[in-house]
Amino acid sequence: MIKALLLRRMWLIRHRFMTTLAFMVLLPLMLHVSITMVMKNILVHSLGNVPYDIWVFPGIILLIAVSSTFAIIYRDLFDLRIHKKSFIPITMAPYSKSHLVMGFLTTSIIESLVYVIFAMGVLTLLISSPLPWMAYVLIPIFAFLYTFLLGNIMITFSVLTDRISTYLSISVIMFLFIIFGTGMLVEFDFYPKIIDTILSYNPLSIVLTQLRKILFDGSIQWEFLAIPIITSLVWTWLNGSLLKRRLKQ
Amino acid sequence: MEASITLKKVGKLVGDKTILASLTFGIERGSLVAVIGDNEAGKSMLLKVISGIEYQEYGHVFINGLDAQKRRLEVMSSIGFVPHEVDLDPWLTLEQNIQFMGKLYDIDTEILNTRMVQLARELHIVPYLKRMSGKISPGILKKGMVLRALIHDPEILIMDDPTAFMDAESYRHTWDLLLRLRGQKTILYVSQSLQEVEEAHDRILVLEDGRITLDGSLDKLLGSTFEFHQFQIEFEELSNDLFKALSKLPKVKNPSRIGNSIHFYGRERNVFFDVLNAASAAVMKDISVQKLGLQDLMDAKYAKDGIH
Repeated sequence: MIKALLLRRMWLIRHRFMTTLAFMVLLPLMLHVSITMVMKNILVHSLGNVPYDIWVFPGIILLIAVSSTFAIIYRDLFDLRIHKKSFIPITMAPYSKSHLVMGFLTTSIIESLVYVIFAMGVLTLLISSPLPWMAYVLIPIFAFLYTFLLGNIMITFSVLTDRISTYLSISVIMFLFIIFGTGMLVEFDFYPKIIDTILSYNPLSIVLTQLRKILFDGSIQWEFLAIPIITSLVWTWLNGSLLKRRLKQ
Repeated sequence: MEASITLKKVGKLVGDKTILASLTFGIERGSLVAVIGDNEAGKSMLLKVISGIEYQEYGHVFINGLDAQKRRLEVMSSIGFVPHEVDLDPWLTLEQNIQFMGKLYDIDTEILNTRMVQLARELHIVPYLKRMSGKISPGILKKGMVLRALIHDPEILIMDDPTAFMDAESYRHTWDLLLRLRGQKTILYVSQSLQEVEEAHDRILVLEDGRITLDGSLDKLLGSTFEFHQFQIEFEELSNDLFKALSKLPKVKNPSRIGNSIHFYGRERNVFFDVLNAASAAVMKDISVQKLGLQDLMDAKYAKDGIH
């Protein structure tokens, strides 16, 4: 099934190759110009004394992963479903709903990772000093974890919502939360203590915090990574049940 | 013959409304069954329930003897479904839509392509395969959907208005294929075209308010339910007295008048001679006798109230 879903994604990209290519090049450029170049003049260094453009690099990459995951999940599980285009035939294939959700997630993660790798290449040319080679291995791994969890959140919204206006509102709120509530652009230490504590235990934040820890401190708390992994696996199963209930299948 | 599809007391509710009410029937393997009925009769829902798109609230659907709800994964491979509305991905070519479905069912690429081309030839849609679905007319897309439903070679083909949006030629190509498959596959379809159903069926199910009110072949339905014929006699001048006199004849049913013509129903043909005798003094211009068709059967007045 995953092979079929991947093949379909490849066909879709091929049909709008120039748009995809523009997205892959322009999005990292735009984020660098509008976020990194501005913010590095304000914050200059992180609290751990890492130059801001280096510190924010993983956050920007994950933001790109978020954008592509949003687009893919929106199309496959919301747009095609509410407009009754090819979604029902997919659900009629002999797979369990959890298996289907896992299939959609896997394809969206794989596609997002392609964007991530491309964006890392583009952004590396723009930052003050390149990151250690290990960062180029670790960032995609953590981007996988991040999109695995985020994809599940978006699948829940996509399956529960039937109106575009509601979906758009949810997406905007989610985007704002991801940007400001998961430590993507600004460290949690800048927030009031209680907000810092609450936000830092959010599974999405844990992935990003641990990624930065290993990149800039050389340490990691593996036990913390279990939280997003377990949450994602349970959520995938729950999404399968939710899809089954929503479709009445 | 063995039943391919069996429904046992199947009930479906949408909100408080009963869409399907305790349906129990079986469909023989390899038969061609048409479902007809008024709008909101529950035809499309019946197809959705049988094909597993929506579960019933009550009862059981068995596909090849397997409970469709409990053994869904085994059952789904043997069903091909064509919905009423076009549901192909508009951003993929017609070929990619079909190939994607084939891949989803794990069909070997070579078999998939061979089958696709063969069916596309039969449906005369080969030139459209490489075109984006969003840019193809709905009639051609509907043929593509029939092809897509057959790509995994299902034993059961369920179609909601399979020839909707099609021109006469496409209609003929589609039915040529479906009639070739008759006997090999169980085919269940809904149609709004009574002429289509009259031409292609082994059995007709008439659905009314979620219940099957009639079940059988056209001859059986018309024979057992309405052994009526329609008669029409046009007079040079049909007086009120003559119309009243003819209307009072015991075997004349539901007489009506249109200008100088009397239109009525009769269970036996000899009612015609009774009328001719009674009207022998008047000058007749034209006469016609016609056996009732499916259209008459479906006419709400007769279907619900019968001929009085």
